[in-house]
Order: sequence, then structure tokens, then C-alpha cells
Amino acid sequence: MRILKLQKKDLFPLLKVISREAELWAPTAKGDKFAYGRVLDFSRIAMDAVRTIIPPKKIMVPSLFNMFNFTEKGYQEDLSHVTDRILFGIHPCDIHGLLILDKLFSQAYLDPYYLEPRKKTLILGLSCLPDAYCFCKSTHTDIIEEGYDLFFTDLESYFLVWIGSSRGDDLIRLAPDFFDDKLTEKDIQTYTKWQEKRDNAFKTTVNFTRMPDLMELNYKAPFWEEVGAACLACGSCSMVCPTCNCYNVVDKLFLGNKPGKRLRHWDSCTLPEYSEVAGGENFREHKSQRLKLWYTHKLQAYVSKYGKPSCVGCGRCLVTCPVQIHVKSVADALEGHPVEAFWKKFAQEVSK
Amino acid sequence: MPKDKLKIGIYELTGCAGDALLIVDCEEELVNIFTAASIEAFLMAKSDNRHGELDVALVEGSVSTEKEKEELLDIRKRARVVVAIGGCACVGGPQAAFLDKKEWEKNLKKVYGNIEFSHSRPLQSKPIDAYIKVDCYLPGCPIGKAQFLSTFARMVNGNPPELFRFPVCVECKWHENDCLLNKDILCLGPLTLAGCGSVCPNFNVPCFGCWGPTEEANRTSEYYLLREKGFDTEVIKNRMANYSGTRITEFFEQFRKEKR
Amino acid sequence: MNGEHKCLAETNPFTPHPARIVRSYHLTKDVKFFQVRFVDMEEALRFDYKPGQFAMLSILGAGEAPFCISSTPSRPGLLEFCIRKMGTVTSALFELKENSFIGLRGPYGNGFPVEEMRDKDILIIEGGMGVAPLRSVLLYSLDNRDQFGRVAVLYGSKRPSEMIFSEEYFALKGRNDLECHLAVDADDTGKWTENIGVVTTLFRHLKKVDPENTFALVCGPPVMYKFVIKELIKLNIPKDQILMTLERRMKCGVGKCGHCAIDYIYTCLDGPVFNYWDVLHMRELI
Repeated sequence: MRILKLQKKDLFPLLKVISREAELWAPTAKGDKFAYGRVLDFSRIAMDAVRTIIPPKKIMVPSLFNMFNFTEKGYQEDLSHVTDRILFGIHPCDIHGLLILDKLFSQAYLDPYYLEPRKKTLILGLSCLPDAYCFCKSTHTDIIEEGYDLFFTDLESYFLVWIGSSRGDDLIRLAPDFFDDKLTEKDIQTYTKWQEKRDNAFKTTVNFTRMPDLMELNYKAPFWEEVGAACLACGSCSMVCPTCNCYNVVDKLFLGNKPGKRLRHWDSCTLPEYSEVAGGENFREHKSQRLKLWYTHKLQAYVSKYGKPSCVGCGRCLVTCPVQIHVKSVADALEGHPVEAFWKKFAQEVSK
Repeated sequence: MPKDKLKIGIYELTGCAGDALLIVDCEEELVNIFTAASIEAFLMAKSDNRHGELDVALVEGSVSTEKEKEELLDIRKRARVVVAIGGCACVGGPQAAFLDKKEWEKNLKKVYGNIEFSHSRPLQSKPIDAYIKVDCYLPGCPIGKAQFLSTFARMVNGNPPELFRFPVCVECKWHENDCLLNKDILCLGPLTLAGCGSVCPNFNVPCFGCWGPTEEANRTSEYYLLREKGFDTEVIKNRMANYSGTRITEFFEQFRKEKR
Repeated sequence: MNGEHKCLAETNPFTPHPARIVRSYHLTKDVKFFQVRFVDMEEALRFDYKPGQFAMLSILGAGEAPFCISSTPSRPGLLEFCIRKMGTVTSALFELKENSFIGLRGPYGNGFPVEEMRDKDILIIEGGMGVAPLRSVLLYSLDNRDQFGRVAVLYGSKRPSEMIFSEEYFALKGRNDLECHLAVDADDTGKWTENIGVVTTLFRHLKKVDPENTFALVCGPPVMYKFVIKELIKLNIPKDQILMTLERRMKCGVGKCGHCAIDYIYTCLDGPVFNYWDVLHMRELI
């Protein structure tokens, strides 16, 4: 591991040098929120973006894209969304999200639509300070040990830059003059102080070690009916989740002898047709069943397979669900704690 | 793929004819539409309309008179596949949306008084599936060009359309929009069928529900949510009723029953 | 930035490979039999499957769906499918003439553990469309008759007219190296010579069962499982030797799209064949 120092003023010149051969993507402002987008004007990079509306999975597998063009002669793969990219400003939780998706999209069969763009994307991580909804400390995804090429820790006037891969090292060599490899005692102190400050800044916690057992024990708990009743089945929780990988496939035709397209788009297990088979039988007709599947996956099932939850504590479900069905409120319900969420109030209101 | 051209008829019942107009408005694809299929009947676009057997009938509008009912029953007899196009045919349109079942009779009397209907007896407006079996539904007020064309292309190929059954929110998130409901704006995205490409929220305009309600539309939850955000009951009810046709009537009937 | 971009056409697991319908005919009013052959012989040779596995069929313009393979790998060359008209893809498939183009990829899923089943007795209990996956393992065991112990089949249909592969099964009754018991829920023809009643009524016709040495293979409509499993437990067949093959919505077949997920498993990767202990262990399985 090598750690170098980069002065703040040198960041944009560095980005300019390294983005000559690849598209630079970074969080930019979208209303009062943020979204990853291609950046040509570096001043648009939102260095203070805590979280983007949609996680960086959209860069690997777009929400809707073409898998194949087809004619009567056969199916021709379309990988036109694959391109060389540099992803700057990605926080540890989202890098962990990608690491989880890596596992899903490469288990048993390799999914080229995810893995090809992934391979061609350099990950330039950036440190962050949590807001009230972040709980990555609880998921142990607040720090990152793998899955990045470079990682920038923001220490006010300069960055400490971790080199995480050989490709990251190549980037440094494109502009070695910007970097200083002599770290002083003071640098280390500044870093330690920053770490302490960050550790103490978390406001939301979830006890994930208890979740698999509590999910099992609460399989028939009445609160599942309550969340089911309030759920708008809008699918937003899945769309914004960095570890939700589900998708659907539809064949689209065009008039005038144009080739057809096999489109792939993001899907959600909270939508009614998710588990419906031809003929109309639905294995998960009720919203409570579908939500239970979502939470089984996040809090329990992935744990039994990989030893950690399929949640990276990014807080997106907390800020997105209009009726506040999210990892924190469900975890509170599982633990038998009082729940402050719209769905709980709704249950009380409706039972009146 | 079928050898012979499909015979397609396009019909308009009670509505604004906006869906038929939209088809005529598909200018760059009109040649392809008329080449791909034999358009047997399409009152807005051609004369010499034939009334024989059809492979597919596209029916716009709700049924509002005895005569329309008969025409619809005749279409069903002649067509192998019937597609409801647009909000009026799918769910009845605004003319079918009453918060109370008895409202229609009161309104009819108020407008027409005690006159005799000589031409055709009026009926309470209903979506076409109140009278016939409908094979597929193409929602929208009016229907969307892209969705119509891909539906048409699939039908010409002999396949039913594959339409989104999920709400606007899904497409809205695909476009990475910030949730308007969360900004305390009355948005019907969660209750409304997708397929429009979340065109309104993409421009910060809330969803008005013009694609009609989803099968599972959770009106009760959204109602309480909007109440909590300070919206007036009547405002919420009217907004939900706009494009929901008879579904809203059924919903309130059910709701009243449960409350009793 | 990371070297040349490799053409993935050959490694893309989602690519449907060109195939043609060699033969198709109705088995019942809404069930059709299809024989399919890859256009490319190399693809055919690469397609090395086990009984109980499934394939994804693409019908141009209609879409793609999973179908269990009804033929046996012991008769290579042609793949056979037994398909009920249910939705968009199957409706389009039913319209296709012989020699029509389709896309095919697979084989997917775990299939039946035929290696483990070697030298054991096989008891097949099937109802309705349950024959589609179980015909593969039945034909496989008959083609490799010396590798298995006793073979018995209990097959129930709703009515004689809805019995799938009826000729094949009546022919089996003539063989002396297996037991074959047939039943219909109701006879509307007046000509049915076999048993009348649900499939579980056939258990009493079974000759002696050696439970420890038996693999029971079950497939049929969801309502059937509960009653059949009860009978099998009564016969003392160990839970992990009661195998069933399940249906779920699938869009990829390779563990990516998520639709067939149950707990921590994917039906397409870890199934579609499960044993009764899996079913008890994972609540949502049946």
C-alpha cells in the first residue's frame, strides 16, 4: 500500500490529465440532491455530495438498455453501454455496494452487461462525513480495503491518496509531479483526528448481527402486515439500493423491418408482478410477502451465504421511501423498539 | 409470423378522439402503420370503412349510449382481439368517475331535465370491459406514441403487447428524479401506471395520473400520507378521481363498506 | 484503459443460439410437444444436460421463457419440450410451423442427482404437466435400466383427454421391468380402463417399497404436493430422498435477474430440483 499527498489545488489538473483517455464521471448537483453524471467541467463536481439519488450501479447496468438486436437471422449482442470510465467521488459504502454486485453478477455465470463496464471503470474513491441517515458504521462499510484504484481522503487543505491497485498506480505515474510521498508526523495526526471526528459523527445505528435471527423469529410478526398495508409498491427502495440487482427483460418490436430489441430494465421484488408466472399464479401476491423477501435478502439471506448483510448503510432507503419503510424502521420493528415512521402511524390510523 | 396482413379496425366511442388523433399524428410512422396492416376501419383517417371480420380492433372511448353498446358488441363479434386504447376505454375516463354511484342519475336530470331520448338511450358511462372481454389495455390520456407504436408492432407480429404494470415511480427513479411526494407535492406517481417515461416528474411537475391507475394502487395509504402533509380531503379525492374512471367509484364503495 | 475489448459473443450466457423446430404436435388440446434441434452442431454437442434441467427458449418478438427439458440425454441430437399454452411466449410458440427459427440457451439448473440415484429404486409420482420434467428422468432410467433398481410410475390426470403422452404411458404398462399405474380424476369418455381418483389413490397399487433404497420424484400442480408427500412420509422414505421440481418466474436462468429467489437460493441455480428437507427448511418453496 502506498499513500501519497496531493494538494487541493492540484486535484483538477490531475483529473484533467487522467481523464484524457476515459470519461470522467462524478457526483453533480441535481436540484438539492446529487446524481452521478459525466463531467467535462470539473467545477461541477459536488465534492460535498453525501449520497446520490441513484447509486453508481447505474453506470454499470443502466436502468434500461438493449441486450440484443434481433432479426429472423438471430440475436446480436449489444454492449454499446460499455466504455472506459473513471468514476471519481465514490464513497466507501457505494464501493462496497459494487463489491456485492460483483459477487451476484459473477456467481456461476458471468454477466457481461455488468462486468464489462465494471472492468473498464476505474474507481477513484473519496472520503465523506456522514449525515443523519448514514449508518455504514453499523454495516462495517464505512472504510474500504479493496475495490478501489485510488482513494482520496479529504483533509481540508490536501488529500491523502491511497493507491489500491496497479491501475491506480498507473494513473499516478501519468502525473507524478502532483504527488508528494513524504508524510509527516503532523499529517498522521491530522488523519487520526479526522477519523475520530468521522467516527463520532454517526447518528443512525442498526444492530446487524442480530438481524438474521430476528428475521427468523419475526417471520409471522404482525408488523409485516402493517408495512404491507402502507407500502405504495412503488419500487423506489429497490431502484435506489446499491445492492439491488433484479431486472426484467422485454422484447420490443419496431415497424418497417427494423431489428427488434431485447431490453433489460431494473425491476423490484416489491412490485406485484415480480413473482407471477405465466397463467397468472403469483407466489407473492401480498405486499407483506414481497417486503419480507426484500428484507430477507438484505438482512438475512446474504448473511447466510457471505457472512455479512446485503446492506451498505448508505441511507438511500431512509431518504427515499415516502411511507418510511426502510432498513432502520424495519430493524427497529424487528427488535421490538418503538417505530417512528409513517407506516406505523398509518396502521394506528386505519385500525381506528 | 403471419403471412397475410392483419386486418385492423380503429373505433371511437365516447371520448375526445385524442387517441385516434394521436395515431394519425404518428407522421413518420404512418406509412409503416398502413403498410404493416390492412386498416379496415378508421373513421378519422379514411372513408370507405369496411365492417367485416377483424384480427384486431382498437377501441377508444367509453360506452355512454345504448347504440355504442350495440356497436361495441358487434365489434367484439367481428374481432379476434380487442384492445382498449386510452383512459376512457380502459377505465371509463372522467365521464365514468363518480365518487358516488347515484351521482350520475342526478347529473343527467340536472343537465337534460325530463326529456325523452329519441336517438339513443344514454347509459352511465363505463369502460368497454363492462360489456365485452378485452384482450389488452393500452392506457394513457391520450395514449403515448412510443407505447402505441411498439404495441402495434407486436400485434402485427401476432403478439400481445408487453406493457409496464408497475407505477410511474419506477420510471421516475430510472430517470433519477428526486421524489416529489417527499417534497410535499401532491404526486400520483405511486398510483399511476408507468409507460409515459415519467415525463412530468422529469420536469418537476407532479404526476396527475393520466395513464390511469395500477392494479394495486394503494389509494388508502397515499390518501393518509397526503392528509398528513396537509392536503385537503376534497383536493386529494378529486385528483385521484380524474383519470381513474369507474375504479375510483369502486374504491370509494369498498372504502365506505370497510369504514362502516 | 485496460487493454483491448474482447468480443463476448461466445461467452455471453444470455445469447440465444439458433435452433429450429423439427416437429411439433398436440398432446392434448392445450399442450403441445416440440422437437428442437440446434442449427449449429457444435452448439448441440456443447449442450450437455441432465434430466430435470431446463432451457430458455426465445420466440422472435414474443420474448423468452424457461422450459424444462422432456427428452433424455441418453438420446442425443434432438431436444424435446412439452409445453402448455399459458402466456405470450407459449402462445407464439404454438403458432410456429415446423422448421421455424427459435433461440435456445442452457442447460440450466441442478437437475436430478442421477449419480446419487444409481442402483436405487425410483418412484415417480406425477400429475398433469408434472410429466414434462419427469419424462426426462423416466426415459433416462429406462435407457439405462441396468443402472437403477425397481422403477415405478404413478401418473394422474384430470380426464382421459388431458392425459399427456398417453400412448407412451400405455405402452409402458406392457413392459415387465417397471410398474406403471395410471389414474384420472374423472372419466368423461366411459372408455377409461385404468383407475379413477386422484394420484394418491394409486399408492395402494404399489408393490413393496424399500424406503431407504428409494428415491421418490414428485412433480405436479401445487395442490398435489401436500398429499403426495404425506403418503411418501407414511412409506418412510427419507426426506432427502423425496425430490421435487418447482416452477418459478425466471427471466435469466443464470442467477442474475432475481425473480426466482427464495431465501438465499435461486431456483434457477440451486433448483429447480429440491428435496423435502429443503422445502421444510425454506418456507416459501411450496
